[in-house]
Amino acid sequence: MKRAVPQNLLGPGLTVCVGCGGVGKTTVAAALALEAARTGRRALVLTIDPARRLADALGVEALDNEPRALPRARLDALGVPPEGCLHAVMLDMKRTFDDLVERFAESSDARERILGNPIYQHISETLAGSVEYSAMEKVYDLWQNDDYDVVIVDTPPAQHALDFLEAPQRLIELLESRVVQMLIHPAFAAGRFGFRLFQQGTRRVLQALERVSGLSFLEDVSEFLLAFEGMSPEFRARANEVRGVLLGPQASYVLVTGPARASVRQALDFRGRLSDYGVTLAGVIANRVHSWPGTDELHEPPPNLDASAADLSALAEALASTGAPQRAAEATLAVASDYAAVVRRDGRALRELRKAATGAGGFWAVIPELPEDVHDLDGLARMAAAVFGNATT
Amino acid sequence: MAQAMHRDLLDHRLVIVTGKGGTGKTSVAAAIGLAAASAGKRVLVAEMASDEAVMPLLEPDGAPAGYPGREVLPGLSVMRVDPFAALSEYLALQLGGRLIVDRVVANRGFRQLMNGAPGWRELITLGKVWHIEQMKKADGSPRYDLIVVDAPATGHGVAFLNVPRVVVSAVRTGPLRRHSLAVEDLIEDPDRTLLLPVTLAEELPTRETVELVARVREEAGVRVDRVVVNGVAPPPFPSGLEDLDVALRALPADARFGALPPAGVLADCASFLRARHALNRGYVEQVSELTGLPVLCLPLLVDGVERREDLVRLADPLLAAPELPA
Repeated sequence: MKRAVPQNLLGPGLTVCVGCGGVGKTTVAAALALEAARTGRRALVLTIDPARRLADALGVEALDNEPRALPRARLDALGVPPEGCLHAVMLDMKRTFDDLVERFAESSDARERILGNPIYQHISETLAGSVEYSAMEKVYDLWQNDDYDVVIVDTPPAQHALDFLEAPQRLIELLESRVVQMLIHPAFAAGRFGFRLFQQGTRRVLQALERVSGLSFLEDVSEFLLAFEGMSPEFRARANEVRGVLLGPQASYVLVTGPARASVRQALDFRGRLSDYGVTLAGVIANRVHSWPGTDELHEPPPNLDASAADLSALAEALASTGAPQRAAEATLAVASDYAAVVRRDGRALRELRKAATGAGGFWAVIPELPEDVHDLDGLARMAAAVFGNATT
Repeated sequence: MAQAMHRDLLDHRLVIVTGKGGTGKTSVAAAIGLAAASAGKRVLVAEMASDEAVMPLLEPDGAPAGYPGREVLPGLSVMRVDPFAALSEYLALQLGGRLIVDRVVANRGFRQLMNGAPGWRELITLGKVWHIEQMKKADGSPRYDLIVVDAPATGHGVAFLNVPRVVVSAVRTGPLRRHSLAVEDLIEDPDRTLLLPVTLAEELPTRETVELVARVREEAGVRVDRVVVNGVAPPPFPSGLEDLDVALRALPADARFGALPPAGVLADCASFLRARHALNRGYVEQVSELTGLPVLCLPLLVDGVERREDLVRLADPLLAAPELPA
């Protein structure tokens, strides 16, 4: 029984590609965006991967924090109708954060204080979770301005690839946590015994940290938080809106995976964690899957390769031109067995993934291993054709 | 470029294994640990990720090693360097009181605050590694002959190795300066410490590794003298039969030889393996050329690295003399 990949992946809405690193998530996201454009949507793909390759594949000069349009001539050649278009944007973490501060700072003075604060500079560039946070902020920003029917997002390859769902909340929690509040307003907590004990302990440890470090960590943190405090209500509202969109009905989640055992295991793990957030997976796309030559269906098991001595002799005879016919025949059998092992491995992985996807009512699609790295729009179009032609339930 | 002598991998005090997620960095760290223990060394594999990945490879149903660590096999210990546990330990040593430090470090608010604070994780983790390197047995010999660090798969490459130097430059006096200097001294000592980048023979990992090595040379004082390329497909055909795919392609595609698949299918299999090998070799050569470093190629294991036996298969190529650039 076949079922098409749900069209809402192509808009209107937000399509989030999740999965571990190294499975071709960026390219799959771009292929989905291309297909959306071909079906007449105004599509945008957001990538976190700074690879030059995507810019090359899309045929744009460079990718940066502002959406770039693909040249019309190239879109025409791929059959994109006039109402469809494709833009690509690459996340610039620092710029995204700075834009946020500019937007919400109470005064130009507060803005300068935040942008110049060493703690802010560190947070905006290197804090764990800040890629995720700024990615989601960027998504929301692009989503809001209504220029696109669909925004397709390639998520960061974090160790816990769903961190981005938590990032806004975590930042808010840090800003509003009691310990932070107490650092800013020590007097506030002074009257409460439990707090006081805790606060003394915390201060003692932090002061010890400062003493051994000689850094003005506390001072920098306090200053940063004080400056940020004025922004806090807007910031919180914003984070809630971002979360609302990401977990709301307009967002579809697609799991992209490769056939290697480790990728499959991580994919199954993601599926579980997505449902912890109350997110339903729209489906699974397995990328770079090997199939046995000449079979129509991907993930069909390879044939048995039991060859008798007579079969090998027959093959050897045909390979007389190699000068070492018997060795050539044996090597051929070994080659076929090696390739069959790869096909078999992919088949095992796919059965497991398919069960996981379809069991939850999701779609399921396979992209075959292409003979070369995907370098251009034609390659992306081939990937899209595989997804939208081969989907089954 | 003339290569300096390549010291045996196991002859270091500290090997820091680094690489992007998916390159098999953890398998490499575990395989080095296993090889060292087999060679009769006392070795510690220290993980820095928040999920333990080394232990499941060595002992499928074993309990986590955790911060205290555990000897999994004779001579082979594994631990996870949890930054908060290391911070507790350090502060307790500095302040002389364990109880209040433990309480504070366990506090959610404190953790949130520290989660936002820069640099300390790297410093405390490296500090712990230094501390372990200094540990002695009763007879005065080192507690561990070799420490293998499975470095975090961050997007920031090896920036974490620079933290001690940044601290040293920022802090004029005090115990932290002393400790950071000692850590820096260990990391930058080419006789004791080696940074071992792990990559795949694919486009993106190749590019990232080349950038990583360039950056290490530019800013970090750590020695890097070889690169591990993981998952390299073996030569597809035996020697003397380098054009086997061409010979198969020359047969009629539908020719059958008993129970064997038709010649066209056999030719496809052969072409695939040949192309994959050529692609891999191309990237291996790029890594070698663009870094100027010798390369250790690890074999492709189709079913992945799952068990101790798989790690054993990686050990020999890891310990081999590095292949010099042509």
